[in-house]
Amino acid sequence: MAPLTDTRKRELRRELEAIVGQGAVLSDPDELLVYESDGLTLFRALADFVVFPTTAEHVAAVVRLAHREELPFVARGAGTGLSGGCLPAEGGIVISLMRMNRVLEVDYDNQIAVVEPGLVNLHLSWAVGPQGYYFAPDPSSQQACTIGGNVANNSGGPHTLKYGVTVNHVLGLEVVMPDGEIVWLGGRTREALGYDLAGVFVGSEGTFGIATKIVVRLLRKPQAVKTVLAVFDRIEQASAAVSAVIARGLVPAAVEMIDQLTIQAVEDAFGCGYPRDAAAALLVELDGLSRGMEVQTVRIIEACRDSGAREVRTARDETERQLLWKGRKSAFGAYGRVSPAYMVMDGVIPRTKLPYVLSRVNEIVAAHGLRVGNVFHAGDGNLHPNILYDPRIPGEEARVMEAGAAIMKLCAEVGGSISGEHGIGLEKVDFMPFIFSVADLDFMQRLKRAFNPTGRCNPGKIFPTRKSCGEAGPVAYRPHPIEEKGLAQRF
Amino acid sequence: MLTDVELGPYVVEGRTPEAAVFPGSIDEVRGVIEVAGSAGVPVAAWGGGTAAAVGTPSRRGGLVLGLARMARLVEHEPGDLTATAEAGFTIAALQSALRRHGQWLSLDPAEPERATLGGVIAANASGPRRHLYGTARDLLIGVTVVTGEGAIVRGGGKVVKNVAGYDLPKLFVGSYGTLGIIVEVTVKLRPVPDDERLVAVRFERVKDAGAAARAVMGSDLIPSALDLLDAESSRALGLGPTPALVIGFDGLPEQVAWQCEELGRLVAPFGGQSPTTLEPEMWPRLAAAPRAAFESPMALMRLTVLPATVAETIEQGTNAARQRGLVSAWSAHAGVGVLTAALFSPRQQSEPGPIAAVLAEWRSMARAAGGHANLVWAPLAVKAEVPVWDDAGAAGRIMARIKAELDPLNILNPGRFVAGV
Repeated sequence: MAPLTDTRKRELRRELEAIVGQGAVLSDPDELLVYESDGLTLFRALADFVVFPTTAEHVAAVVRLAHREELPFVARGAGTGLSGGCLPAEGGIVISLMRMNRVLEVDYDNQIAVVEPGLVNLHLSWAVGPQGYYFAPDPSSQQACTIGGNVANNSGGPHTLKYGVTVNHVLGLEVVMPDGEIVWLGGRTREALGYDLAGVFVGSEGTFGIATKIVVRLLRKPQAVKTVLAVFDRIEQASAAVSAVIARGLVPAAVEMIDQLTIQAVEDAFGCGYPRDAAAALLVELDGLSRGMEVQTVRIIEACRDSGAREVRTARDETERQLLWKGRKSAFGAYGRVSPAYMVMDGVIPRTKLPYVLSRVNEIVAAHGLRVGNVFHAGDGNLHPNILYDPRIPGEEARVMEAGAAIMKLCAEVGGSISGEHGIGLEKVDFMPFIFSVADLDFMQRLKRAFNPTGRCNPGKIFPTRKSCGEAGPVAYRPHPIEEKGLAQRF
Repeated sequence: MLTDVELGPYVVEGRTPEAAVFPGSIDEVRGVIEVAGSAGVPVAAWGGGTAAAVGTPSRRGGLVLGLARMARLVEHEPGDLTATAEAGFTIAALQSALRRHGQWLSLDPAEPERATLGGVIAANASGPRRHLYGTARDLLIGVTVVTGEGAIVRGGGKVVKNVAGYDLPKLFVGSYGTLGIIVEVTVKLRPVPDDERLVAVRFERVKDAGAAARAVMGSDLIPSALDLLDAESSRALGLGPTPALVIGFDGLPEQVAWQCEELGRLVAPFGGQSPTTLEPEMWPRLAAAPRAAFESPMALMRLTVLPATVAETIEQGTNAARQRGLVSAWSAHAGVGVLTAALFSPRQQSEPGPIAAVLAEWRSMARAAGGHANLVWAPLAVKAEVPVWDDAGAAGRIMARIKAELDPLNILNPGRFVAGV
């Protein structure tokens, strides 16, 4: 596509301003720079325009304009994504949903809320908290990330072990289709009519259209919560404890694992009470009825002890519980203490393969002359190996990329997946053939055509393309502006 | 392969298929599809046949593709809480295999001895425990299908959390065999709870039962099932002549006991009698209660509404039937807002007019409440007057585009489903 001429750009800017208003269009390269990447700074691309609509009609009009001009467009929330999913193609329009951030309606009788896509995840739980409700998906970036972004990536979080990921909590969406038509997929009721369009839309990474209203389920806050910390001298013992918990018929709300390197970084940074000499720690959380909570806690403690835990304790009060969770949730920020840069990986494996895969991950990273920190959702086998490196050392970045690809291949080989919650975006398009055949990918492409026949809605994502690697070229990690402000952490 | 008189069990709504074939492997399914595709013969996948009559009547008999020979448990790794099975495996067989390891698939559709995994997914069948555990959409993590062009396509995977690529399992849940023949599925499992109890609470009026159900929803209780039965359905199950709530609890014995006590306190202000414990055999009978209320119902409809409007829907629906000289029986998953209603004519009249009129009225009730309604079963004469599926509006056009892209030869259950797909 030929770049827009300056004259044409000025004309289009005026037209966009006529749609969304003065002060809601950016086209100055300095301002556009903020929108050139998401939380994965390896990939960058500049749009021609960033627009800030406040209604679905605005979004539809912008999309129709893009359609007419044959310009690519992409929706963007808080930009906390970790796979480059909301990056513009070179040129085109970024549609920021950050000004569509209202809770439109809360219906406690039916335990649903209708929200706009730019609403920050945690703000919904704040809004309904006083009535005893919350929104279950809890990605670690939940202080900053938006529900629209959660929908695009089908985001998870620690507590999805028991409560499911975003799709399990979305009933319906008002969507601006890639041709500008406004359509409801699903609705307010628990069951939709016909194909589960809302179900396939969630997780389609912005390639099926732009959600402008989202109907979500609200859950009642549990009566009781109990958090257990188990400390291990060997990482295999911690892996075995995960299986032991499951073998005892328990369904904890969360089972998180933190390895030694990560514990030390966290303790250096925040001092959350994890023993620095431990090889690994498990954070296990139970929630539900007050009755029976003690019995279940004892079962967890036994499962950890029988697997060789040297210490198991329960958080005495909410303060200690919050501190333990702070350690877990700020682990990514803490890596800054031990390494100038790191690359976060996101893979999933069958839980029973944990001991094997963790040791293989360590071998792979060591063989590339690098170090790795692990902090992840052990309960559902969702790994986050974080490869530490120094971008100033020539060749180190390339070794990180190689090690990362080898880890993804390993996840695929043991029957797992190349993404549990971060999405494919741009980052992993070339890994898709690790787990999907040509026929699988062709079928998905056809599904995409049914929603997005021109391909102009978020082009270049998810599917392998010949030009996908190399062109942008890996660029050194540097903290994203929102990370620097402490609004988001790598997860 | 079956032909002629052997096809008796596969006759649907008086229409005999041209043949029935029973492939034994994914490759054989592919072979059958390729032959059908080149001959332009429509193909209907057939699991246990429990939902075979659901849908717009087909114009042509076509080919029945039975999955009965594909009924193996492929893989069950208890430590992973996942299982993979061929589509023809019955729900009952799966549950008994899993139970040996203290696990279960938290999905309890009617007729588990007949219903197959593939069929349950294709028809999005569920039961009372969906209140807590959700439906196939929440449990299916991987699916293998043979497309209408004979390609073998896998979606999802074998791990419980996975966002790589589009979520094809969601697409196949409730797609009624129109997008691909489901041949293998992978599901998430749960540990069998230590204890489980089903209790009934009787109420004077449906309205009171509905209010009590809302009180339970807004409480700390975590029921596994919350069904509301009107007097007719209640009587059909032998629970007495009044409306009732039937509620399930599971977990540790002390949790079950505490919740039953607490339930008694919660329902009392609405005139609820003290809860009585039911036999576990009652579980699978709950779904079929409305149809069991009458010897030969004239039609069955499934309505989806907002959960808080369930009681009101039942009352309005009952009146609508009564005004035309008909009677109805209702049951509802009160917490999720899904109702089943049976319609019956006390004077054995069989002209479709009044039946169709009531069904149309029920549908507009559901629509007015923000939901929709589909016919589960009705005589052909009634189906001719009332469309089986509700109108999906603009979303229906997307469904039609999906069907055209994914089954371009249009041989998989053509015309059976919503929006003519």
